[in-house]
Amino acid sequence: MSNRWWKAVAAAAVVVSAVACGGGGAESGGPVTLTYAIWDKDQQPAMEKIAQEYTKAHPDVTVKVQLTANKEYWTKLQTAVTGGSAPDVFWMNGPRIGLYASQGVLQPLDEQIAAAGVDTAAYPKSLVDLYTFEGKKYGLPKDYDTIGLWYNKALFDAAGVKHPDATWTWDDLKAAAAKLTDPAKGQFGIAAPADSQANYYNTIFQAGGTVISADGKKSGFGDPATVEGLKFWVDLIKAGSSPTVQQMSDTEPTQLFSSGKVAMYYGGSWEANGFAKNADLAGKVDVAPLPKGKKQAVVIHGLANVAYAKSKHPKQAADFAVFASGKQAQQIQAEAGAVISAYQGTQETWVKAYPQFHVQAFIDQVPNSVPLPRSKNTSAWAKHAEDLLLKAWTGEKDVADAAKELEKAVDEELGKEK
Amino acid sequence: MTALEEVPVAAPQRAVAGRPARRGLRRREWLWGFAFIAPNGLGLLAFYIWPVFQTLYYSFTEWGAFGGHTWIGAENYAKLVSDPEVLKALKNTLLYAGLVLLGVPVSLVLAALINTPGLRGAAVYRVLYFLPVVTMPAAVGMVWRWLYNGDIGLINYVLSLVGIEGHHWVADPRFALYATAVVGIWMTVGYNMVIFAAGLKGIPKDLYEAAELDGAGPIRQFFSITLPMLSPTAFFVTVLTSIGALQVFDVIYLMLGSNSAALRNPAIDENQTIVFLFFERAFVDNDKGYAAAIAFVLLLVILLLTIVQFRAQKKWVHYA
Amino acid sequence: MPERVARRTWPVHVVLVVGAVVMVAPLVWEFLTSVKSFGESVRVPPTILPEAWDWSNYTKVFHSIPFGQQLLNTVLMTAGRTVGQLLLCSMAAYAFARLAFPGRDLIFMLFLSVLMVPSQLFLIPQYQIMQELGWLNSLQALIVPGVFSAFGTFLLRQFFLSLPKDLEEAAGLDGANPLRIYWHIMLPLARPGLVALGILTVLWSWNDLMWPLVVNNDPERMTLSAGLATLKGEHFTDYPVLMAGSLLATLPVIVVFIVMQRRVLEGIAFTGTKG
Repeated sequence: MSNRWWKAVAAAAVVVSAVACGGGGAESGGPVTLTYAIWDKDQQPAMEKIAQEYTKAHPDVTVKVQLTANKEYWTKLQTAVTGGSAPDVFWMNGPRIGLYASQGVLQPLDEQIAAAGVDTAAYPKSLVDLYTFEGKKYGLPKDYDTIGLWYNKALFDAAGVKHPDATWTWDDLKAAAAKLTDPAKGQFGIAAPADSQANYYNTIFQAGGTVISADGKKSGFGDPATVEGLKFWVDLIKAGSSPTVQQMSDTEPTQLFSSGKVAMYYGGSWEANGFAKNADLAGKVDVAPLPKGKKQAVVIHGLANVAYAKSKHPKQAADFAVFASGKQAQQIQAEAGAVISAYQGTQETWVKAYPQFHVQAFIDQVPNSVPLPRSKNTSAWAKHAEDLLLKAWTGEKDVADAAKELEKAVDEELGKEK
Repeated sequence: MTALEEVPVAAPQRAVAGRPARRGLRRREWLWGFAFIAPNGLGLLAFYIWPVFQTLYYSFTEWGAFGGHTWIGAENYAKLVSDPEVLKALKNTLLYAGLVLLGVPVSLVLAALINTPGLRGAAVYRVLYFLPVVTMPAAVGMVWRWLYNGDIGLINYVLSLVGIEGHHWVADPRFALYATAVVGIWMTVGYNMVIFAAGLKGIPKDLYEAAELDGAGPIRQFFSITLPMLSPTAFFVTVLTSIGALQVFDVIYLMLGSNSAALRNPAIDENQTIVFLFFERAFVDNDKGYAAAIAFVLLLVILLLTIVQFRAQKKWVHYA
Repeated sequence: MPERVARRTWPVHVVLVVGAVVMVAPLVWEFLTSVKSFGESVRVPPTILPEAWDWSNYTKVFHSIPFGQQLLNTVLMTAGRTVGQLLLCSMAAYAFARLAFPGRDLIFMLFLSVLMVPSQLFLIPQYQIMQELGWLNSLQALIVPGVFSAFGTFLLRQFFLSLPKDLEEAAGLDGANPLRIYWHIMLPLARPGLVALGILTVLWSWNDLMWPLVVNNDPERMTLSAGLATLKGEHFTDYPVLMAGSLLATLPVIVVFIVMQRRVLEGIAFTGTKG
């Protein structure tokens, strides 16, 4: 079916309706403008500064930072890629790199990395590997995050409970959560939403379970150890130590934590910025390493800068992508303090930005870290996890049953990947 | 805005008939006619009429992650008839529309009350009842979600004052659709009331005077005069309200949607409607082929229900 | 006599006042929440009036989303669609009501058929068209598909049919062409119909959510409706700020409505009897 016909009609209709539209002329040679798409408002100032620094070194290149809310970011990007008009450089995450790299959307950056003299050993190896596809590097890590146990000191003190520390185990957490729960005040010990990265992936690994096998061909959701990691959360809800799923849908956990209705909250290092700025929380909260299960473990994930393969200025795009993850840019980002820079030696700056919290806990956990589970088409199976685990969290399904069902569904999706 | 040719389209009053037919003049009139309808006509063709066929074609295709679609025959439709999600959404949509239609008699009663002869402040009431109609649905959804909050919402607080324990109205699969329908009624009552009030004004006064002489009280007058005389308006309002309700999206999106996958509303799977499902498939999952097929299900439902309503109208609608 | 009327109408007042409270209370609560601090807004039991009137939530709205720009986008979209529809629909309606040309009734039926189809059937291809034209995230994407309307044509045609023909025939005998008749005679006569269509188009455009949500993702190009949906936030939902934003977004239409209430209500009633 040809699209030409309606295009002609549409064009005619547009002319008739005489709607003016500004046209952007195509550049050839001369000054170049690159678009750099990001989704975090808190990081926008740092990203703009990096863009300016780049222009200082390359006066003929201007970089326009384009912010899109995370909720719309991927839909928009997918659309833009489909239409052949994606931003020249953009943020990429672990769950999506497989899809984007395998579909030829991204430029391999190896050449530019070599030309710029960047040593990839300066980044956490698990993150470099995350963005390597069939031997080529499609992205260079820009930051990383781990998960910590945020807690409300004031509520702990009021209940006479010892503050969490590096020695805590699951049992310590459960006991504290029970003590910190006070139905009369509408206060809960912990928030247990069905969040993969911040919550159950960590406990799955702490219990010795797996999500996706090392070769990416099998799911480990049905594994008894995995089930134990999932049960950890459901049990907290059942014990009444956490609000129910319904309550957390009505009022989000961060909101509950900010208003002092929840004493503990598993949150990423990215929360530090928001919590530091929140006047209601000033002097009240701190963070500790995650309590250990059978072993210590935490999920690590980080973003990367990638360059669009069909950019009008592919060379400049790739060059800027490498620059934005390079040492100088990472230092700027670290000073802004929104996220932990991936470049070795810049983490200190981030830690110093938050003297009020023990954010060192996030960095100390890195040796025990496990990369965020992913496959070539992560979103296909992640959808099943959302559906089925939500039913386990509400109590509609038994955890073990839901996990078994989920394993089957994930295996099926993995089988479709080539 | 959707409306139907409720009033039989009046026969075009041809200017041509009574005039001596002069070829040149007539041809000039043809040209003018086409010129006048061309802008709107071509626009409708490009953006509305042709897209229906395009959507029909899409409903037989499967979409790749980054565009491109392949013909897969009737697979989408085969999947659709056995997809529990679609069937549930269909059920929810019909239930929602049924619930919102309960607002129609309410607005009729309100219109009758506001038309009470000698009532002071009728204009003020009219404005107050109409406010929800002009309020942005996105804002409405947000406000009501806040009111419905199970722990800190105003509604549960008011209920607690009279000793009733509330629920998490929009997060509980048992209540979410009803809670949304209440908002649907709240948003449409004022609009329908205004239309009913206009209809009431059109009823000749002497009918009531005659009835009063016969000794008929206000209640009997309502059932023997008002209702039959108003039935064409009631029919119009019913058709319009149900078509609007079958396409509900805004309030579902804002009241039952969620900000992230981790905080998904546990009520959404049980309570989503057809258009919400369509939106998710088409613009979130990029499964546009399947979404196109879902859109045709909606068309089918609307057509069937409209035909049923037009059939039924013969029994209860009186055209004077 | 006034006493008798008052006695007879007081039960009516009771019912209407209760109803009015239900209709207005959510909006009042929206306002009251918007001037509370976050801490106060989540308190149980809730305070009715704020302890301290906190207007800062209104400035926070402007920091959270490009509110000014989104307001401008919404105004331009609404104005563009409304002016476009009034012009294009009245032209087509005039032709359908007054001019004779081959295929007229058939074409009119085609127009009418658009009314029967739910908008979801246009949405995907409309989106594709915007994408192919490179119009995603643009003002014209918000406006253009909305200037063509079958409903408006239908409504105005009904109106034109109800107008007497003496005036235009007199002008026609003077040798005026249809364009002059349309512009100088029909349009002024059709003012009530145009007002009704204008009001409906303004309401529909200002409040439209799905189309702006689909075509424009850049916060700078969003309308208020879609902007509010994203203000709902990523991690943190601050209800007082949300309520302030909701109220601000709605306020322009509410003000216009209150100022023009008679026209608006007449317009709505008009569609009920003529449409």
